[in-house]
Amino acid sequence: MEDNRIVELYHQRDEAALQATREKYGHYLYAIAYGILQDAGGAEECVNDTYLCAWQQMPPQQPRVLSAFLGTVTRRLALDRYRQQHAEKRGGGVAAVSLAELEECVPTGATVYDGVECRELAAAISAFLHTLPREECDVFLRRYWYMDSISAIAQRNHCSQGRIRILLMRTRQKLCKHLQQEGMME
Amino acid sequence: MKAIDIQDAIGMVDPQLIRRADEPAPTKVKEIPARRTTRRLRWTAAVAAVLVLAVSLGALLGGFGKQPPVTPDAPGDVSTSVDGEDTQHTTTTTKKPGILDNLFPGLTAKAETLAEAEYPEMAPYPNERELGFDKKYDAWQADKDKQAAYRGAGAGLTGFFRDSTATFLSGAGTANRAYSPLNVYMALAMLAEIADGSSRQQVLDLLGADSLAALRQQAHAVWNANYSDDGAEISVLASSLWLNEGVDFNKDTLDVLADNYYASSYRGEMGSDGFNKAMQKWLNEQTGGLLKEQVDGITTDPNTVMTLLTTLYYRAKWTNWFSADKTTSDTFHGAAGDLTCSFMNRTESWGTYYWGDRFSASSLALEGQGRMWFVLPDEGVSVDQLLADDQAMGFLLANGDWENQKSLKVNFKVPRFDMQSKLDLKQGLQSLGVTECFDQAKADFTALTTTEAWLDKVQHGVRVAIDEEGVTAAAYTEMTLCGSAMPPEDEIDFVLDRPFLFVITGADDLPLFIGVVNQP
Repeated sequence: MEDNRIVELYHQRDEAALQATREKYGHYLYAIAYGILQDAGGAEECVNDTYLCAWQQMPPQQPRVLSAFLGTVTRRLALDRYRQQHAEKRGGGVAAVSLAELEECVPTGATVYDGVECRELAAAISAFLHTLPREECDVFLRRYWYMDSISAIAQRNHCSQGRIRILLMRTRQKLCKHLQQEGMME
Repeated sequence: MKAIDIQDAIGMVDPQLIRRADEPAPTKVKEIPARRTTRRLRWTAAVAAVLVLAVSLGALLGGFGKQPPVTPDAPGDVSTSVDGEDTQHTTTTTKKPGILDNLFPGLTAKAETLAEAEYPEMAPYPNERELGFDKKYDAWQADKDKQAAYRGAGAGLTGFFRDSTATFLSGAGTANRAYSPLNVYMALAMLAEIADGSSRQQVLDLLGADSLAALRQQAHAVWNANYSDDGAEISVLASSLWLNEGVDFNKDTLDVLADNYYASSYRGEMGSDGFNKAMQKWLNEQTGGLLKEQVDGITTDPNTVMTLLTTLYYRAKWTNWFSADKTTSDTFHGAAGDLTCSFMNRTESWGTYYWGDRFSASSLALEGQGRMWFVLPDEGVSVDQLLADDQAMGFLLANGDWENQKSLKVNFKVPRFDMQSKLDLKQGLQSLGVTECFDQAKADFTALTTTEAWLDKVQHGVRVAIDEEGVTAAAYTEMTLCGSAMPPEDEIDFVLDRPFLFVITGADDLPLFIGVVNQP
């Protein structure tokens, strides 16, 4: 079923929208949640919660890209759950490792502004990503949006893990510089 | 602002970018296996594969006694001899002085180097935490690029791989059996070098080579395409010739083998305890000791003209490990009856499931460029039936290039196993058309020696083991579900609880090992 038809069903409050979403994006959403949580039961729950959120948010929401809209919800739910589970101690898994990597974007000694809004930051990062070559942008998002492992990204891109690590390291350095230039920190 | 804010903000970036990032990668970049020196010490249970191929030439040598040894025919020839007790040395020039001291310390037999192979230099994979990683990485990548240039040379070997696999693996009965197509190929290519006339032609025909020159070029490329020893990934095809000190050998041929096949040549007293031990030590060194039990049984006798040994040692870990706490005990319906074994369990969220008329299959990635394929015959179909099935054999060598495939969630249930297999390839090679080399009256090995010689035995041993971290496999050779049905929509349980086939492919997508597991 086409995405716009599924969104239409949500707006008509037709529960067939949920079934269509499950059939078309269930596997995709599960992979996102599982990538973060590494736990089948938790991932299933996140996916089910995503359907509930989608039902609650459409209407009024009219997502341009349904997969990204749903994926964003799943990612947020999974990250929340992950952080809750690992609140007291530093956890393992890709989510923790990718977070540690992102710390390079906020270097020690840099003055950062606490008041920066998440949406403002997201807009700056989006603008930055649009300046990157496609491969570099995709690899960055596979790592920090989809939370893929380095090996999975290397496989996906048919190249070595070392190459992916180098690419990510350089992208993080560029992002750090970009955020400084945008006045997010100095 | 903290890193966690950036992590959250990334979750809200342009949805078009997110969607695009989920599409297949637009271009295929250079395939360069990853290696990490820093991980070496954690490889104790990684994927490792070793094969030893030993080829012995027999001859009626009684009477020649201690003939004069080969005389180096020109300055610069490699000739170093070592005797552990009387320390006799006859050295002219050597590329690596003292290597025999390292190989055979304390051995009482004389082992003399006639030709020493020099492996390509390979920059070690740098420590990612050290300063200057970028530059060191670039040096490493430059070396890997050189090796990558050789890839694809084995594309014409499918016919040999298919025919030989069916021949050598069929008829295992209730036992496990494994075979290394790539290693046997390398041994046969060297056999063609030392043979001549129609004896050589039969080997060329089996390997599908137009000429010896073409085969030499191909084997050289195949060796290089599969070679890696950078401290993080090991994939080495090693070869050596062990020659009777009383027989005259063609030095030019030995040099060709050293230069093109990276085969070293040693000479000594055949049948002596010291020489046998030196040979066994070389084998154990090349195979990481994985085949020690079988290697101990490889010996020569005074009538042996030459023993050719080839090994394939490959080791890597699963890209994603199996979690040990998910390993369960369950029943494997083996060829000889049910048995209880440990099953490793893992879900591949984005796995690929393949199917044919009489089998189903899936694979798991290994670090670097390797992959292990599992082929499960449908219920009621035997492994031997698959080995005789053109479609199934086609899949075994297709490396995933297969029409009937689907991406879906695959729940793997794989038995943990450690199997050893020992095969006599003589009969199989004869059925594949290599007959003259074994025929005392017709064998022609004049490219190597003027002494009358024939191929006496071809033994092949393999060891393969997989566990939660990876696969360990070793081998030696001594020449002395679903059928045609579509898979379910989203998810499938891939349960290997009955006899199945496996293939381990390496950097160049060529089959390093193929095996039948009847009893995990």
